[in-house]
Amino acid sequence: MKKTESPGVKLAKKTLFYVVATLLVMTWLLPLVIGVFTSLKSMDELMADPVMWRPPKVLHWENFVDTWNKAGMGRYIINTFIVTVPSVVGALLVSSLAAFALAFYRFKGSRFILITFVAGMLIPFQMLMIPVFRMSNAIGIDDSWAGVMLFHMAFQLGFCTFFMRNFMKQIPISQIEAPRIDGAGEFTIYSKIILPLSLPSLAALGVLEFTWIWNDLLWSLVLLRTDALKTVTLGLANMQGEFISRYNLTAAGSIIAALAPLAVFLFFQRWFIEGLTMGADKG
Amino acid sequence: MAKVELKNLVKVYEGNVTAVDKATITVNDKEFVVFVGPSGCGKSTTLRMVAGLEDITEGELYIDGKMVNDVPPKDRDIAMVFQNYALYPHMTVYENMAFGLKIRKVAKAEIDKRVRDAARILDIEKLLDRRPKQLSGGQRQRVAVGRAIVRNPKVFLFDEPLSNLDAKLRVQMRAELIELHNRLQATMIYVTHDQVEAMTMGDKIVVMRDGKVNQIGSPLYLYNHPINKFVAGFMGSPPMNFLTVKIVDEGGQLYVVVGNMKLKPAPSHVELLKAYVGKEVSFGIRPEDIPVAAEGIDSSAGKILARVTVVEPLGAEINIYASTNEQSLISRVPPHHTYKIGDDIAFAPLMEKARYFDRENELAILPVKFDEQA
Repeated sequence: MKKTESPGVKLAKKTLFYVVATLLVMTWLLPLVIGVFTSLKSMDELMADPVMWRPPKVLHWENFVDTWNKAGMGRYIINTFIVTVPSVVGALLVSSLAAFALAFYRFKGSRFILITFVAGMLIPFQMLMIPVFRMSNAIGIDDSWAGVMLFHMAFQLGFCTFFMRNFMKQIPISQIEAPRIDGAGEFTIYSKIILPLSLPSLAALGVLEFTWIWNDLLWSLVLLRTDALKTVTLGLANMQGEFISRYNLTAAGSIIAALAPLAVFLFFQRWFIEGLTMGADKG
Repeated sequence: MAKVELKNLVKVYEGNVTAVDKATITVNDKEFVVFVGPSGCGKSTTLRMVAGLEDITEGELYIDGKMVNDVPPKDRDIAMVFQNYALYPHMTVYENMAFGLKIRKVAKAEIDKRVRDAARILDIEKLLDRRPKQLSGGQRQRVAVGRAIVRNPKVFLFDEPLSNLDAKLRVQMRAELIELHNRLQATMIYVTHDQVEAMTMGDKIVVMRDGKVNQIGSPLYLYNHPINKFVAGFMGSPPMNFLTVKIVDEGGQLYVVVGNMKLKPAPSHVELLKAYVGKEVSFGIRPEDIPVAAEGIDSSAGKILARVTVVEPLGAEINIYASTNEQSLISRVPPHHTYKIGDDIAFAPLMEKARYFDRENELAILPVKFDEQA
């Protein structure tokens, strides 16, 4: 039997919950609000008023235009798209293939391969900066998008494969056997049955990966030197010095940069349908 | 023509677990054969070897006279209905049924014709645009069968297809599958753990236990001539009664002795029982063959006296559970009997119907065929 609480205790608990939740939400939102305000203030206002969370007196929308044109955000955003989209697609494609094999085939060493993927996730990337830099130099892919994409794909593969394999493991084995008897080849089973069934997890993983790669600073920093190739995080970091720390432009640039993952999330969320496999079997 | 022959099929899993041990079974063209046995007896594994979903460790498998041990499932020309239906959840009913044909590059018009024909047979024409999750269990089952039908395969394989349905629907689908078999005139192999399904559906039943085929035969042959105690107890509900009895010879007359009660064995059984004089054997008698000793029942062979422990009125008949000398038995009697728990009761077993089993190896003492057709 559960003890019933008195209305007073219930109310106190509820109040405590809302107070804590509100504090947490505010803590999380405050930097965002400051960012938005900063992006709309003039440099003079920023310097004159040390209170960061005061709303701007005049809305300086031209900050967004300036950061796009003068500070080169436009170029950086396009560059980042060029790097991010193929990296995400590549990582999802290769990892879903690997996951398909690891989830459904019994072969010698499959466990070892899975463990290798997982272990790879545990290596701190900072440790790999110098090897990656030297390796990319040696094979001549340094200071190129191809190099950045390659390393993004490689480093995301561990997590993606692990994630996809665990999802696919939940698909009943009869979803492989039925098409096999129906006459489908293994690639058809992957592309026509398992991949569509994995859409919810692919969508979730796609959004995660897009955000991570989009926001990555480390590999771009290690691999890219030419300004025309730089991605958005590098661009934002550069702005600090170039424009003698024009915070309003940096803030406006950050907001533009944050819009892309948001758009991707909104686009993909319609595939976050839970229980797509429902109805495959007895239910 | 599609004959399936299993010759000494063996399946050994990793860790040296033998799932199927030298199964030799012949499934004739157009025959409906049921593999039946308790869970873990190897019946599903045997079916999956026929399907090509499990490798064959040893032995030979022939479909249509051609050895197919190393032929992949898609080239064996078989269709299978899975226990959990295994419908493709992201496809409509139509697409589910058409999938196998599309893969095999059948012309679109032909696919459409076959899918609609099958849908008509199964009465699922109105469901063609739905997805599996919008269907009830019974409808999913029909789609799964439909997916097999459209392929027009040499052999149909069913892996416990009705076990997820409720009792009423199961009886209905059972009848529909029998009808379907008559209509299609196809070779079918059906796996179940339900002896009622086996009895009612099969032209031929293969009883398996612990990876071994115990006996093969028509339902009535297995019911009346079980090869061992296991088959005797497995086929039939309520199951056959087994009493431990002693065979004694009193001045040339053989008796079957239950506690202090003596029964005269049927004349045709006497010769075979002579070898067991002075020994204990298992006396098997089906519930319907041990009527209450009453007017109009021949009790000249002797009676078994017992006390009623449970009465199960089923309407058309009554199951009476009784115990004698610490041995219990069930009798199926007509509904006019009015016995109550604790009543004394006398049974007059039909000795001609009695079966005897060796206590040590549990084999039938009366001669019985392992394979009725062999």
